Amino acid sequence: MYDLIIIGGGPGGVAAGVYAARKKMRTALVTGDFGGQSVVSAGIENWIGTKTISGFDLAKSLEEHLRAQKDIEIFTGELVTAVTKKEDGTFSMTTKSGKVLDAKNIILASGSRRKRLGIPGEDRLDGKGVVFCTTCDAPLFGGQDVAVVGGANSALESVLDLIPYAKKIYLLVRGDALKGDPVTQDKVKTHPQVEVVFGAVPQEITGDAFVNGIRYQDKGKVGTPDETKTLAVTGVFVEVGLLPNSDFVKALVKTEPYGHVVVDPATQQTSCPGIWAIGDVTDTLYKQNNISVGEGVKAALNVYDKVKLG
Amino acid sequence: MSHVTIYSTPSCVYCKMAKEFFAKNGVQYEEFNVGSDLKAREDMVAKSHQLGVPVIDIDGNIVIGFDQKNLETLLGLGVK
Repeated sequence: MYDLIIIGGGPGGVAAGVYAARKKMRTALVTGDFGGQSVVSAGIENWIGTKTISGFDLAKSLEEHLRAQKDIEIFTGELVTAVTKKEDGTFSMTTKSGKVLDAKNIILASGSRRKRLGIPGEDRLDGKGVVFCTTCDAPLFGGQDVAVVGGANSALESVLDLIPYAKKIYLLVRGDALKGDPVTQDKVKTHPQVEVVFGAVPQEITGDAFVNGIRYQDKGKVGTPDETKTLAVTGVFVEVGLLPNSDFVKALVKTEPYGHVVVDPATQQTSCPGIWAIGDVTDTLYKQNNISVGEGVKAALNVYDKVKLG
Repeated sequence: MSHVTIYSTPSCVYCKMAKEFFAKNGVQYEEFNVGSDLKAREDMVAKSHQLGVPVIDIDGNIVIGFDQKNLETLLGLGVK
């Protein structure tokens, strides 16, 4: 029985782990890998104390810092799939590989995952031209026409990652304006290889063995009828936002309609005594690495207060 | 000793993770950059029927993505 199990190895989970270990609570941290969603970022320029760092190097430094602590057990390559509350108020959790771990307290730092479009062709052609990691797969689309779906920072960055490789990049935006950093918006809008299509609602990704196009509804100007249009592309890069990884605790804690776990911002406590939540899985207003770290520290200290009082 | 091949791109972080995992466990591997090596890209697609990287071939067993548990099993490594 652990005093504390931390679920997740992003910046928030690691921060909680370092603090919990230094307080000598009997702690375990369970994660698929380290670094959180930023791990695929080519350069993070707002990680405080470092001018620029790649997501990969950030992940390594987080892991190194955590592994330097003596009093923590670390399970990597693991995913928590279920959490139950027992009659005595402690928790039991099951991992993907079938491990069962028991704890008195939990810090949920499971972050979020990519939202999908939910249209025909998306699942069937996943990895066959439908791409969810642009930095990974952009070099495979050299000289080709591709579409990026989305209108905020991650979509804009995806376009920039593709510019050195793809011949033509269509950016399909559902609304009538781009969101995201103005500097990045300007780079995208003015680039000769990029065509931004506003009012475009994707309907289907087509192709047999591999993607050969995307069909979308063109909402056009107000007062004109919608039109269905098709683009011949071999790649569709989906960058339409994030969903919190809260499914496995929804029966225990209060969540808001999008699935974010509701927390008390003073302590990071959830509606379920014994469960704290931090970072992107919560209803915190800003999803940022630096903020997750602070929340992780806050939660670990609050858990310690409870454990110490017994 | 297993024969291990990884198909990767230079910008792919999961490829880096897989290679670090191999290095840490003393696994020798051959690497192809499918961003520039078109022949290797064809081989990768023929083996995995898809385009995403990394693709790892361990004695003919194909692993798509960095699936640590699966790699441990195929390489006969003890779980740490």
